[in-house]
Amino acid sequence: MQIVREIIHLFSKDVRLEFRSSYAISGILLYVFSTIFIIYTSFVQVQPQVWNVLFWIIMLFTSINAIVKSFVQESNQRQLYYYALANPTAILLAKILYNILLLFVLSVLVWGAFAFVAGNPVRQLGAFVGTIFLGSVGFSITFTFVAAISAKADNNATLMAILSFPLVIPILMTLIKLSANALGLLQDTSVDQDVLILIAIDLILVAMAFLLYPFLWRD
Amino acid sequence: MYTLLAGLLFPLKPGVLEVTPNSGRTGEEITVEITGYNSFYKKGEDSMRVWLKLDDARSLQARKIMVWDDRSMEAVFSIPEYLPVDRRVQDFSLIIDNEIDGAVSLPSAVFITQDSLDPEMGERVWVNDPITRLSADKGIHFPFRNILAETIRNTYFHVPLWFAMVFLFLGSVVYSVRYLRGFRIDDDQRAAALTRIGVLYGVLGLITGAIWAKYTWGAFWSWDVKQNMTAVALLIYFAYFVLRSAFEDPEKQARISAVYNIFAFVTLIPLIYVIPRLTDSLHPGAGGNPALGGEDLDNTMRMIFYPAIIGWTLLGYWIASLVYRFTRLREQHLDLV
Repeated sequence: MQIVREIIHLFSKDVRLEFRSSYAISGILLYVFSTIFIIYTSFVQVQPQVWNVLFWIIMLFTSINAIVKSFVQESNQRQLYYYALANPTAILLAKILYNILLLFVLSVLVWGAFAFVAGNPVRQLGAFVGTIFLGSVGFSITFTFVAAISAKADNNATLMAILSFPLVIPILMTLIKLSANALGLLQDTSVDQDVLILIAIDLILVAMAFLLYPFLWRD
Repeated sequence: MYTLLAGLLFPLKPGVLEVTPNSGRTGEEITVEITGYNSFYKKGEDSMRVWLKLDDARSLQARKIMVWDDRSMEAVFSIPEYLPVDRRVQDFSLIIDNEIDGAVSLPSAVFITQDSLDPEMGERVWVNDPITRLSADKGIHFPFRNILAETIRNTYFHVPLWFAMVFLFLGSVVYSVRYLRGFRIDDDQRAAALTRIGVLYGVLGLITGAIWAKYTWGAFWSWDVKQNMTAVALLIYFAYFVLRSAFEDPEKQARISAVYNIFAFVTLIPLIYVIPRLTDSLHPGAGGNPALGGEDLDNTMRMIFYPAIIGWTLLGYWIASLVYRFTRLREQHLDLV
């Protein structure tokens, strides 16, 4: 399987790039910690309800900041080189996979930092970890594809926010409900259904990204 | 035009607005005053009959009916000592029938309280007046629904607007796909024009829906799932226009907005068709409320509702083709200058 090998190579390339520069991840971590610090100093006492919503809002902005650079961090010439070497869909899938990993690590870190300053209201550990994993997958697919679109425009940070917020709202709403469930804030019997909705949305988005990306990368 | 005229001018079927008093006790003679809507009690006085209906087999006919004018009358019922049910409070539906208005009903119009329960005794003293020979309604009317009343006419504007919007977006996606297959700039411009009109329809649908909601649910915006999701859907399409304006190069603009358009349409489907069906909503078709069809649309309404969908869709395509031709002409003009 040519494409799987390409994905693995590109994926490890992204991870190695990250470790070598460690510019992105440390920048994002600083961003996360300062946000949490501001929130903590302004709220002092954080109710579980507020905790839940704040967690996902921080995750939303962190993810956008983390992913917006996926396609612009490398120069055009180097990207052309990749496209000459590998299948464009392999490049997109490797980026999506790498971003899933990155977002999952980030959300665990945000969770840890949040628990450190504001207490940890999570009751069902497994359900919460599952929720943040599904969240990383959903955010990663949407944001990576939108980053690919907005990288084509010049003022891409603004465009990224405009394009991705409405697209991610249904995912975010389902996530907040799921994690409220994991926090024991509401007794919801339709957890399976919500998880299915999330997986279905993710699948649709991945299929569309897969079909449409070949039209997008050429310049 | 047909939709507009027929939708606004056909009168509503006669209905019953109010019944006072709406409660009584067993063994009493109760006199209820009935206020009608779009009704002609005076004309139909000779053939007027009124029942209180308990269930499909059992009902009480009024002993005496006094018609005051076209919109109000009084009916006297004598309620037996015991009712054939083992509930303290039993609701009765009111049925009015005459040759002019046809048969009209108001569910749970009168509540009767029993002093003591004895279903068997009630069975014995019950004098059944079966509802027979109901007159058919004459003339073209829309059904009368209690909460909706005259706002039922909005069915021809609010609902077909959404249908037409989806058809317009679908057409736009077809043109986007054609663009990506052939890279002809015309196709992209057609897609953009259709999306523009689709968004316009969406905004109109939201406004008509908000006005309708004000009169039936009590507020313009009640954070209903469908309202939220359509607002999000419109945001997605507004972003499409921002995206278009972000590119200078027309070829690049066409390609990337075609890609985004297809992506947006695919995310639109779960937004407005899947998620609202899974959660509780005030809209029909979700959370146990009946969807369109069934008893909601009667044949008179169908006669206008289906042409309305087609009419709004065709109107949308026509406006979109005008927008498209205008863009073309402006470009040609700019080229000449």
